[in-house]
Amino acid sequence: MAGESYMTFWEIVCANLWSIGFQIIFMVCTMRVLLGRIPNRGRKHRLKSVMLAFFLCALLSSLGAVCYLNGIWKLKFEAGQILWEYFVVACWTFFAGFVYGIPVTVGWITVLLGEILGSYGSLLADLFAYGRSFHLDIPQERREYLFWFLVISPACMFFCLFLVRKLGKSYRQWVERENRKKSILFLISIYPVLSRLIIWMAAFCARWESENLLASLSLVFMFHLILVYVGRDEQQKERIAQQQVSLMQQNAYIEKMEKIQSEVRRFRHDFKNMMAGMYLHAEEGDLEALQDFIQEMTEDFDRQAGSQIRLMNQLANVHMTELKGLLLEKLAQMQKEEILCELEVFRPLEGTRMRTVDLCRCLGILLDNAVEEVCGKKDGCIHVMISSQEGCTTFRVKNTLYGTVDLHRLGTEGYSAKGSGRGIGLSSYRRILDKYDFVLSATIVRDGYFIQEFKIQEA
Amino acid sequence: MKVSEYNRKISGPADKAVWMGNYDQEVGRMLPVYICEDEEQIREAERVYIEKKILIEGYDMEIVACTGSPKELLEALSGEQNRGIYFLDVELKGASMDGFELGQRIRKKDARGFLIYVTAYQELAFETFRYHLEALDYICKQVETQMYAGISHCLKVVTERMSEEKGRQQAYVTVKALDVVRHIPVDEILYFSTTGRTHRIELHTERERLDFIGSMQELEQELGSRFLRIHRGCLVNADQIAGIDGKQKEILLQNGERCTFSRSMKRKILERMSVPAVR
Repeated sequence: MAGESYMTFWEIVCANLWSIGFQIIFMVCTMRVLLGRIPNRGRKHRLKSVMLAFFLCALLSSLGAVCYLNGIWKLKFEAGQILWEYFVVACWTFFAGFVYGIPVTVGWITVLLGEILGSYGSLLADLFAYGRSFHLDIPQERREYLFWFLVISPACMFFCLFLVRKLGKSYRQWVERENRKKSILFLISIYPVLSRLIIWMAAFCARWESENLLASLSLVFMFHLILVYVGRDEQQKERIAQQQVSLMQQNAYIEKMEKIQSEVRRFRHDFKNMMAGMYLHAEEGDLEALQDFIQEMTEDFDRQAGSQIRLMNQLANVHMTELKGLLLEKLAQMQKEEILCELEVFRPLEGTRMRTVDLCRCLGILLDNAVEEVCGKKDGCIHVMISSQEGCTTFRVKNTLYGTVDLHRLGTEGYSAKGSGRGIGLSSYRRILDKYDFVLSATIVRDGYFIQEFKIQEA
Repeated sequence: MKVSEYNRKISGPADKAVWMGNYDQEVGRMLPVYICEDEEQIREAERVYIEKKILIEGYDMEIVACTGSPKELLEALSGEQNRGIYFLDVELKGASMDGFELGQRIRKKDARGFLIYVTAYQELAFETFRYHLEALDYICKQVETQMYAGISHCLKVVTERMSEEKGRQQAYVTVKALDVVRHIPVDEILYFSTTGRTHRIELHTERERLDFIGSMQELEQELGSRFLRIHRGCLVNADQIAGIDGKQKEILLQNGERCTFSRSMKRKILERMSVPAVR
């Protein structure tokens, strides 16, 4: 690119006009890929946008020439070039904001991404002219240079853009998210500085052959990226699991409520008839019949809607989402198996010292065991008590016992009251409880019931 | 035994996790009956019916207090306390405590009394009441006839229990597992063992296994000669030892369970097996 230094102001402006004109076309294409279709805001707006593009093109071309001639580009540490790049990016950001009507940060990131893509394109183009310097005085080489500059270089840039054409959708989703990562914004923002720093470091490090700072740094950076990504992935999974629990809970709640509602509706229908009957008895002065009637009615209500309401009332005292989810799931399962289940949560349960995951696993194991014992048998019932007194929380699962249990072998791996090849549940239950110093457990066989409980010392 | 002494023995010293006692029944004492119910009409109905029942059945009971305020009931209890029967409302309107709390206070003064809850709601968390307060039963007051039937049933159960326990002397080990106190007959206990965790002791009976916090040494001292420390982590009820397996260094219990003993204890165990413990 010899001979540039002898160019006059107008020559420079003309050269710039070409490159900046191309830049603006490339930028518009990038925006089209990343931000989607340009919104149609009427002919006037479209005209204004085109005018603005021309204006910016002229402004940057002439300003660039001025800067070049004043020697600003030759400032130490390439400060002039960096500042110029930021200025250009600011201009494009303004342009993007005007055309798309997007917030400044979004425009800023989009334009910078476009810059990065462009630089990848030029890198690629450089490969075609690797190790060559064009002598523009020789006509053959000048033709080659022009071909490289006007055809190959733009083609490479558009090729890069073509590679990322599918990313637009996920980029837009990321942009629309409320909590965009500030660190990413920052990282992209310092790209002009960073890219030069890396080039400088690569050149610097080339002097020591054994130790390459760039290699190690980039490795560290890569590790950091991977860790961040994995961490986010884990967080996301956890969040999804939590959402699923609460969704399931809501579903179960709605189902229960609908059931109660339909039962209440049915009761309302009966209730009217009963009232009419009662009215007749009262008119006749038949007190005994009236009393019978009232008794019948209260019992009826209890049978129809009472049990569901009772269950929900008790469940409302559990203020731990995960535990509530578990109980709802198990209660639904028991209802499906037609197992009679009573739940008692006498005082509100806010939380325990035990880890929630472990708590749910332990209670889950006890409930599963109880269901398995009672399932399919006659007159089986399961009673769950959660009692949170001052300084102590007790979880107690009681179920009808049909066979016999060898208590002192229960909970050892491989032994199960339900036959061979089982007993994993209770042994892992014991293992979890063994982790906690402040949890006491008990197993009791009494009056035809099998009772398992664990107690958490809270204070 | 004096009444106060008897009560101390049952409710136990506050700082101990385990202690032993004999719960023999005093004979010939009148059982006091207490009623706490905030609705006057129902309270009166309860009182009249219980008085009638005592008269007809000739129960050895008398109504000592019939009140709407839990405070008054507790005041009536403040002196030396005999084992009593308590009919308590669960929801006490306008009172500073509910039936559950009242039950807890009563338990502190009368560890072996009979608590019967009278409630309008069928959704009473009775298991919780039974678990924490050892409540005997609950009665629904919604329907008068049901309430009367419940009262009469409870009074019958109480008298049956009293006559069952009459004259029977049974040694109990009382264990405090955090917020509940359990009385377990010594005859039923197989052994105590330590688990991997600190200060945790497991109590084994044939039908029960329960954890509590304590130390083996204190336990050994408290329980005395009926128990044998066969190993650092095992205290066995000597009466439950059925045999000894010298090869495996294990003793065999009546229920077929095995416990390892330390070599130094072998002679003591053999001595103990040939001479049954004096009760």
